[in-house]
Amino acid sequence: MKRSLIIMLVAAAVFIVIAYLVGGNELVLKGFNVSYNTAIKSALMLFVSFILIGQLQVLLTKEVLDTWLNKFSGIKGVIISAIAGGLFPGGPYIFYPFVASFKEKAIPFYILISFIFGKQIYDFSRIPMEMSLVNPQVTLIRYLITLPMPILAGMAVKYYNDKYINKYPSMEAGEKNAANNNNT
Amino acid sequence: MLQTTIILSIAAIILLLVNWRKNGKHYEGLRAGIKQMINTAPLILSAFILAGMIEVLIPKEFVQNWLSTEAGVRGIFLGTFGGMIMAMGPYASLPIVASILASGAGLGTVISIITGWCLVSLSKMPFETAFFGAKFYILKTLYSIPLSFVAGFIAHIIDITFF
Repeated sequence: MKRSLIIMLVAAAVFIVIAYLVGGNELVLKGFNVSYNTAIKSALMLFVSFILIGQLQVLLTKEVLDTWLNKFSGIKGVIISAIAGGLFPGGPYIFYPFVASFKEKAIPFYILISFIFGKQIYDFSRIPMEMSLVNPQVTLIRYLITLPMPILAGMAVKYYNDKYINKYPSMEAGEKNAANNNNT
Repeated sequence: MLQTTIILSIAAIILLLVNWRKNGKHYEGLRAGIKQMINTAPLILSAFILAGMIEVLIPKEFVQNWLSTEAGVRGIFLGTFGGMIMAMGPYASLPIVASILASGAGLGTVISIITGWCLVSLSKMPFETAFFGAKFYILKTLYSIPLSFVAGFIAHIIDITFF
């Protein structure tokens, strides 16, 4: 988070300087005015979004999702894992070690793929943010269009795996790191 | 905007009640949400400043030629790779996407940016490479780029058909 903030602040500073060089104080003020209006317009929605995200975090724990993933296989497993991925709470520091533990639990590779795609495409806790920061209509259309993607990705891997590989593919170099990270 | 706020508020109240009835952790949820809001507030504010500057700086001709609905496949292509290089979290990326939308970008461009950012953002590279290996990351990226492009293309068709 700290690194992201530094990047954002540096980027904002660079763009302020560019705005000053392009259009002087007037353009900089115009930019700040746009920022201020956006912030005011989305403040309440952002507040509500965070309340919603907090409630989702305590409702859907890692343990609940783990139980779901171990219960299903085949197409049902792909759909459930994609949804579970979308519901998974927390950022990359919690998500990737959790996914890396799939191999030890002997959860099939196609489930891992639909889970990763589910997290990245759906991430249901992001819906309120996307709606408040971008646009509700765009968010709805984006979700409808990308809805089948995690399921299709999981099914494609299952088909390919069943036909050509028939085993858990090797994960090469990162495997040891992941295992080490999990243990620590 | 008001309608969305109302819908989100209803959803928040429902989840709060579910947590209260199911596990009594509704206060914990409130605390977690507010803590996250306080932690991310500086990031969101700086993203708003950056987004505001981008909105006033993007030349209208560039939007018209490269990002608008009229730009078609060019916008979708640019959007996919734009999303890929946005190596930031949602609080920083989404206001930037909003500013690109506000400057006049087409639906196809915007959706390919979001999908590209969701699937192939460079911020995922260190994690996916470390946990699953470089081969996994490269293959996932190669398979994901067409998905982002397809999402943008479907959105573009919706844009020119319905809007």
